[in-house]
Amino acid sequence: MSVRSEALQWAQRICARTNPEPHQLLEIPADAGMEEAQEAFHKAARILHPDLHRTTLTPEDLEVVTTAYAKVAGAYQEFRSQRMTTTRMRPMHIGPTAAPAPRPIAPPTDGPIPTRTTPIPKSAHVVPETTPSAASSAMSSKALIYYRKAELALRRGDLRGAMLQLKMAIGADPASTFLRSALGEVEAEVAKQLK
Amino acid sequence: MSVALGIDLGTTNSVAAIATSTGVEFILGPRGDRVHPSVVAFPSSGGVVVGADAKRYRLTEPQHVIHSAKRFIGQNIRSPLVQLAMTGVRYKLVEGPNQQPIVVVRDRKMTMPEISSNVLLHLKRSAERQLGQPVKEAVITVPANFTDGQRQATKEAGRLAGLDVMRLINEPTAAALAHGFGRDRQELVCVFDFGGGTFDVSILRINNEMFEVLASDGDFFLGGDDLDRALAEVLAADFTRQLRVDPRPHAALMMKLMMGAEAIKCHLSENDAAEGEIDGLDLPGGVSGKLPFSVTRKQFEDLVGGYTQRTIEVTRQVMAAAGVSPRDIGDVLCVGGSTRIPVIRRKLAEVFGREPNHTINPDEVVAQGAAIQAGSLTATLSAGTGMGARDAVATAGHSSLATGNRTLPMGVAKRPVLLDVNPATLAVHTAGGFTERLLDKNAPIPIERTRVFTTARDNQQRVEIDCCRGENRKYVENEPLGTLVLEDLPAKARGDLKIEVSFRVDADGILHVRALDQQSGVRQEAHLQVLGAPSTSDSAAGAE
Ligand SMILES: Nc1ncnc2c1ncn2[C@@H]1O[C@H](COP(=O)(O)OP(=O)(O)OP(=O)(O)O)[C@@H](O)[C@H]1O
Ligand SMILES: [Mg+2]
Repeated sequence: MSVRSEALQWAQRICARTNPEPHQLLEIPADAGMEEAQEAFHKAARILHPDLHRTTLTPEDLEVVTTAYAKVAGAYQEFRSQRMTTTRMRPMHIGPTAAPAPRPIAPPTDGPIPTRTTPIPKSAHVVPETTPSAASSAMSSKALIYYRKAELALRRGDLRGAMLQLKMAIGADPASTFLRSALGEVEAEVAKQLK
Repeated sequence: MSVALGIDLGTTNSVAAIATSTGVEFILGPRGDRVHPSVVAFPSSGGVVVGADAKRYRLTEPQHVIHSAKRFIGQNIRSPLVQLAMTGVRYKLVEGPNQQPIVVVRDRKMTMPEISSNVLLHLKRSAERQLGQPVKEAVITVPANFTDGQRQATKEAGRLAGLDVMRLINEPTAAALAHGFGRDRQELVCVFDFGGGTFDVSILRINNEMFEVLASDGDFFLGGDDLDRALAEVLAADFTRQLRVDPRPHAALMMKLMMGAEAIKCHLSENDAAEGEIDGLDLPGGVSGKLPFSVTRKQFEDLVGGYTQRTIEVTRQVMAAAGVSPRDIGDVLCVGGSTRIPVIRRKLAEVFGREPNHTINPDEVVAQGAAIQAGSLTATLSAGTGMGARDAVATAGHSSLATGNRTLPMGVAKRPVLLDVNPATLAVHTAGGFTERLLDKNAPIPIERTRVFTTARDNQQRVEIDCCRGENRKYVENEPLGTLVLEDLPAKARGDLKIEVSFRVDADGILHVRALDQQSGVRQEAHLQVLGAPSTSDSAAGAE
């Protein structure tokens, strides 16, 4: 069988599954280990990867192969994270009880629907309420660079990175009480997460 | 037969190349150079000038010379880091539609993709002239940590330049491809990419033709530009002290100091001290001044210590994320001009217990990898044809198989398979203000995952799906990406409606979100509109 038709048949098999388990997409036993999963994923990459078929398949067939490969990659990710958390999670994608509910958006009555109820703050809650420009106008420009990077780290959820940046900011501007209180808050948040 | 171009669209410099069965051919600038400054000038005399020639206008009319556009492309102009980067440029940037930065030169307004498209068009035309045939297709590289918006905007730039962008690939991955292509290696490599505006580290496992990224991270606001600015500030303070004028409000003066700072920085990569004076500094009163300087390498290293330390921190984090230790790494590849700084190489040697690879060319390796990928996607190239980085010898524009004293195995033609990764965790907002992760950072792309969600209330006929980027459990602590709305859903008891939400990150690293009511088939398919990215309808028109 040619690589091309092997890939296409494989892809069609993958796409035909409804609500599949990760191991089914990877075509390995339910109790398989990480090594088997990795091997299965690598095999898919060598045969199914859409780049290998770009010039030989029709656009429709290429889309099937791409979708199938993307699903196998998704299954591999899920398998990996399941194995990392020792207990196997309940599958999320079946019945309503297991599924997380989207937050209720519409009002309980049939009245007009507000487009958005929760305003989204710009940055993480650990940042003091002062606006950066007000707080930072007094800072040295070097400290400001670090402070802005700390903000970015916070937005990315990288508390340690934020701590590091804030410490460097304090190094550049030791007199700033603003920076110290910001660091204090981040440190408290880290301590909380460690618990 | 058409050729496909590989393009490294850099913050400071761009490089383009094609891969043929005999080697890699670089696209040369007017003076035969492989490196093209990513600079676009709109001189008062009229016209658009790109590349090395554009750089000449930096001193005479700095406000008409657009450089470092990559720092702004696909960005939200309100973001603090963008605001900070704006202090480093002398041209005018204003807020445009969708909070995107717009360049203003005289009465002309241009989006960032339009600016970058000038650089790409310049490369395309140079390539067509050099190769004597039309060039349509291209692979463009982007920093591994580029967001969805930045990637979309880069593709848009390619489109505006008349290129069919077959693929965006990550710069470190391209470097690894150039290094390992056609060599039948099995090794772990660390690619450390420190350029003019961005910093990336990737850990890859190379297994023959397979290039698998295990983890990648970086900072798209950390590069040589930042080091220049730090040094220029010191020079500006000296200037104020010695000449009793604050140079900071004066565009031309600051540009001169930035250029002086860059020259000092590069000098210090080869020497222990830099001494001299910056002259031709035109003071407001019409007098010409000069600024003596004396900087030692040690002083410079201390000044930029925060930045260099950050690159090392990120390198350690990425290794942890990849689950590898420094001893496992077979080769450390230094990419980008800023890796010429000795303290960087010294710190890397400390981390890895060995010197970084010396054989690759930090300026060219990314474009080389892009060219290989372009050739492989168009099936004009296969392994065993001598495209590896070591075969790129410094002839004018050509790296051929015959040079280099080495024959490569002309084995079975195998196309390289790049397994790149998703740069950030992507999630949706769920009840209680939490997030449900769909795609993890560092998961292989292209990737797709589907989750089924239910409604939280009886007769809920409308559902909004807020998407965000970030690792946090709480929704508000992440970066919002946009909202998908499903309306006119059938009235059902809570929990009875099943809504399928699919996230797909394509091979370019761009996110597509789809939502579907499983029973009624009400389907909402939308491309998320990311703030700062060009909206699908506007380009030049939207900016006017
Ligand atoms: N010898 C040197 N010592 C120190 N820095 C150098 C040296 N040579 C070049 N650089 C710096 O390298 C940077 C340019 O590197 P490079 O061309 O790799 O960046 P780029 O590809 O344009 O940017 P990016 O990849 O971040 O988008 C500039 O900041 C330049 O000052
Ligand atoms: Mg670069």
